[in-house]
This record gives sequence, structure tokens and C-alpha cells, in this order.
Amino acid sequence: MTAVETVPDLVDRHRFFDALAPGGRRVLFALGIIAVCLLFAFPVFWLLLTSLRPGYAVYYVHRGTDFTFDNFREVLGQEIVLKALWNSFAISTLATVLSLGVTVTSGYMLSRFKGPVPSLWFSAIYVFRCVPYVSWVLPLYFVTRALGIFDSYWGLLLPHVAVHICFFSWIMKGFFDGIDPSMEHAAMIDGCSRWGAFLRVALPAAVPGLTALAILCWLYTWNEFLFALILTAQNTPILTVVMAQFVHELGMEWHLMSATAVLALGPALIVTVFGQKYVIKGLKI
Amino acid sequence: MAPVSLSNVHKTYPGGVAAVKDFNLDIADQEFVVLVGPSGCGKSTTLRMVAGLEDITGGTISIGNRIVNRLQPKDRDIAMVFQNYALYQHMSVYDNLAFGLRNRRAKAGDVDAAVRAAAKILSIEPLLDRRPRQLSGGQQQRVALGRCIVRNPKVFLFDEPLSNLDAQLRAQMRFEIKELRQRVPTTSLFVTHDQVEAMTLGDRIVVMKDGLVQQVGSPLELFRRPLNRFVASFIGSPAMNFLDLAVAADGEAFRLSGDGVALALPQRRFADLGRHVGGTVSLGVRPQHLKLGSASNGQQVGLSGNLMVTEQLGDEQVLAVRIGPSDIRVCGIDPELVLPAGTRIDLVAAIDNLHLFDAAAGTAVR
Repeated sequence: MTAVETVPDLVDRHRFFDALAPGGRRVLFALGIIAVCLLFAFPVFWLLLTSLRPGYAVYYVHRGTDFTFDNFREVLGQEIVLKALWNSFAISTLATVLSLGVTVTSGYMLSRFKGPVPSLWFSAIYVFRCVPYVSWVLPLYFVTRALGIFDSYWGLLLPHVAVHICFFSWIMKGFFDGIDPSMEHAAMIDGCSRWGAFLRVALPAAVPGLTALAILCWLYTWNEFLFALILTAQNTPILTVVMAQFVHELGMEWHLMSATAVLALGPALIVTVFGQKYVIKGLKI
Repeated sequence: MAPVSLSNVHKTYPGGVAAVKDFNLDIADQEFVVLVGPSGCGKSTTLRMVAGLEDITGGTISIGNRIVNRLQPKDRDIAMVFQNYALYQHMSVYDNLAFGLRNRRAKAGDVDAAVRAAAKILSIEPLLDRRPRQLSGGQQQRVALGRCIVRNPKVFLFDEPLSNLDAQLRAQMRFEIKELRQRVPTTSLFVTHDQVEAMTLGDRIVVMKDGLVQQVGSPLELFRRPLNRFVASFIGSPAMNFLDLAVAADGEAFRLSGDGVALALPQRRFADLGRHVGGTVSLGVRPQHLKLGSASNGQQVGLSGNLMVTEQLGDEQVLAVRIGPSDIRVCGIDPELVLPAGTRIDLVAAIDNLHLFDAAAGTAVR
């Protein structure tokens, strides 16, 4: 019996790509990219198309040439949509500011300090993170009602901030872990207090990360649906919920829903386009 | 400028790890003291305790006759250079230098004058508008030095400031630190794991191991009269050679013998050796103190073994000679000499250059 076995030719693994004409691999790669882009872009394109069609034509988007801005006019004529746009914007911005205010100190503590308090805080965040997001919402409904802040800014802001603290403290900790603590030590020797070293040296160094987190935080709140649905009613309409309310017992007003969705897309798109460079830069550190 | 004094300083971390045990040291005004030792020996912890970045578990630290145990780092009037420079990345070089002065509410004119003066001393004037990340390692280190001298503090603390530089730059910065010292003679405490830095920079050197001070002394003292085997092996490059030998008394002489070695040492030279008769000692001899040849008088001893390897350095050769179970290094051999491996090599050393250590405890036997 011979011990010699056929060793598989390593080159064979590349045979498929090698068989392509020169540049073929690049073409294939480009096609793949286009396919992925279409997968994500096509629904948006369809949404845009639907929002520009009259109500009777939404089911025949691919047929007919009637295009109109009436949907936008109608939607923007509704007070609730305008209110919702403003509320969503305000809640997203306030939630971002409050969350960052807390997570930046919380993340810094987790990164720099040891002892019972940070470990307890760490465990608390860990436990809350393990609880499924959905299961928070019903207890929160009762809590906000009991506190008398149901259907108000605070009633939606506080739960959002709570979730953000749990999720973003970790990312923040990562940012601070990447910043050399000896810089703060140098600042303390240079005349800063512990707080001064944090505010004047660590915080400015974390700005790319903070920007990234602010953008993610804003988008997350802007797009959030479940909390808004359960924790608000008529007094504090939120855009994502208002959008869904175009589906009602009399039918589905796809054209109006699409128009609202396109309106909602605008700010998010601006934030993304403006911020993606910071997000990539921030998440890299 | 001020003297610094550490007495009975202890540091025990939560969990019971003792990083520094009973550290005593008085640093005179304007003295440059180097703490040296392998990693984990407590040297950086000691420095950080002086800086106020670590709490001390016991003892007292005073700077300029003021006990600073409970003072914040900012109130100790010290400056520190860190291993990774620790420059403020979001500020220009100018602002880095000015930061400490501005924190002390110095007048804008004074700040500017001090920054420009420091920049001039360190030749970093053209870099003042740059950001730290646009600078090379050597330039960053120079800025870090500038940040220290600009404030004119009582004490400079250096925490392995040259470790991140490549060998060539390290040698140059060593030179520059020495030169800087002549211009700005401030009391300094310098931590390094590199014995060459310790030897070249320090007025006095403190050798540490496992949180304990092994020896304090001038570079020459440490090189010539190490108190124990650890100091002997740590100071000097290449490291000291050791041979474990049995001791016997024979009239006027002590006879040391081991695998392939037999030496006679006069009793009056090593008075304490009498206590080790019947036991073993470590014989230490520096590679620089071994020469080719055989003992020709009573002031010398001879060793011989087989040549294992030669290392050509251009200006000299370093030999590794196997004597019994040990490999002995020999420096300063003529680079032109052709010595094939396996050659029988006779070595000679002056008795005055021999060191003896207790084989178990490692303490010097004199």
C-alpha cells in the first residue's frame, strides 16, 4: 500500500476566476455591487414613484404617465403631519443631546475607572441590554402613565435615552479605550483637575467618535417606531406613527403614506450624506 | 528645583499585589536619578506615586520639603514625559506647550515668551503650528520635553521616554536630554528598563526588582561593586558571565572548582569567602574583563573552553566560549582574528575584576 496521496492543486481553487478574460473579475465584481445597490435602492425608488402618482394609480405604478405633487400638498396640508415632523425632529435632537450627555460620562467611567460603582453600572447595563427591546415597551407604557408623562415629550424621551445609554455606553467605552489615558495624566500634571482632564483633553479627542454616535443616535430615534406607537397618542404625534396611520379601516392610502415617507426620508438622508464620513471615521478609532 | 524624598513608600494594589515595598530614596536638588529594572519591578509605579497619578499605600513622599502624599498632581509642581509622549492631539504644538501655563493663569505675554524660549532650546520653533500627529517620533518627544521645561517645575519625571524611538534616534535623544540637563538643571527622576540609558544619564541609579530596591549608587559603583548577582547581571552589556563553582580552602588560597574550571583566589582578597567553604558560589566576570591568553602572575586567573560562536561587530568580535555547562561571552576581540568554531580558547581575567556571589541568596561575597 502506498502512502502517497494526491495533493490537491492549490491553483485549482482559483480556476473559476482565472478562466475569466482579463478584467472579467472586475466586471463580475461591478455586477455584484450593482445587484446589491439595486436591492437596497429599488424599494426607495418605488417609494418615490408611488409618492408621485395620483391615488387611483398607485396600484399601476408601472403603467400610465400621470405624475403629481398633490400627495405632498395634501400631506403637508394636514396639521398632524406637520406636528409630527416637528415632534420627530425635536425628540430626535433632544434624545441625541441627552443620550450623549449621559453616555459620554458613562462610557468614560467604564473605560477609565475600576471599583464597585463602575462594575455595578457595567452589570446593570449588561443586564438591561440582554432584555429584548420589545419587552420594555409595555412596562414603560404603565410607568409613563403612572408618572403622568404618557403622550408627552418626556414620556418618549426618557425611554429613548434609557435605551441609548444601554447601547451606546459600550460604544463610547470603546472610543475612550482607544484614547491614551496618559494624555489625561499629562493634563492633570499640567494643572487640570480630574474633570478638567476629561473635559479639556479626553472629550475633544473623542469628538470623531462622538459625532458618529450623535448621527447614529439621531437616525435611530428618527426611525424608531415601536416606542412612538405605544408611548404616544394624539398630543404628541410622531412621524413614523402618523405614516402608519394612513392604513385605516377605509383602506390604504399608499400615495399619502409614500409621500410622508419621502418627507421622512429627507432629513435622514441629509444627516446620512453629511455624516457618513464622520460615522466611518468615528467607528474606525 | 527642589530635593525629593521618598521614605518607607509602599504600594499594594487592591487584591494584595505589592508593587513597591519599603522604598527609600533621597534625591538631592538638581540631581538626576534613574530608576532601572525589568518590567514589573515597580519602577513606573514609584514614579507615578511621585507624580500623584497613583495613591500610595504607606510612607511619605516629599518634594522640596513639603509632604505631597495627598496633593493632586496639579498641585505638586512637577512635569512628566511619558513613554508615548501623551501630547494633546487636538492642539497645535504651541498650544501643547502653553497648556500648563494657561492653566496656571499666566499672562498671555509671559506664556508666549516661555513657549518661544522652550521651543528655541529644543529647536522646535518651525513646528509650533503643527499638530502632534504631523510630527515624527523624535519631534514629538522633543515637544513633550518642551512641555516640561516651559513650566519651570520643581521636578522632571521621565517615564521611559525613549522606549518608543528606534535605536539611532534613542541614542540621539539620550544625548539631547543630557545636553538639556546642562541648560536646565532641574531635579529629575528617570525610569527606564534600559541599563545603557541608566548608565549614561544618571548621576545615581536605583536598581529595582520585584518592588524592592536592589542597589543605589553611581553608575561606576554599580558597574564595579554590584551588591548582588541581579545588579551584576542587569548592569553592563553584554551581561556579566556567571559560573557556579565549589569552594575549598587551601592554605593561603581558596580553591574554586567546577566543570572544566579550577581557580585559586588569595584569601586576603575575598575575606568573606571563608564562610562558603564546602558550599558553592557564583563567579561573575564581565565579558569586557576577559582577554585571550593564560594567567601569567598571581593577580590573574585563567579559564579555558571551546569556542562555540563568534559575532563580528566590525570594531570587535564577541566570542561565546563553552566552559562546562555555561556559555561565556568575551568582548573586545580583534576583529581580524580568524577563530574557527571548536577552537580551544584560553582566557585570562584579573582577580580584581572578579565578582563572587552567594549561589543561593545572590548577595555579593567580598
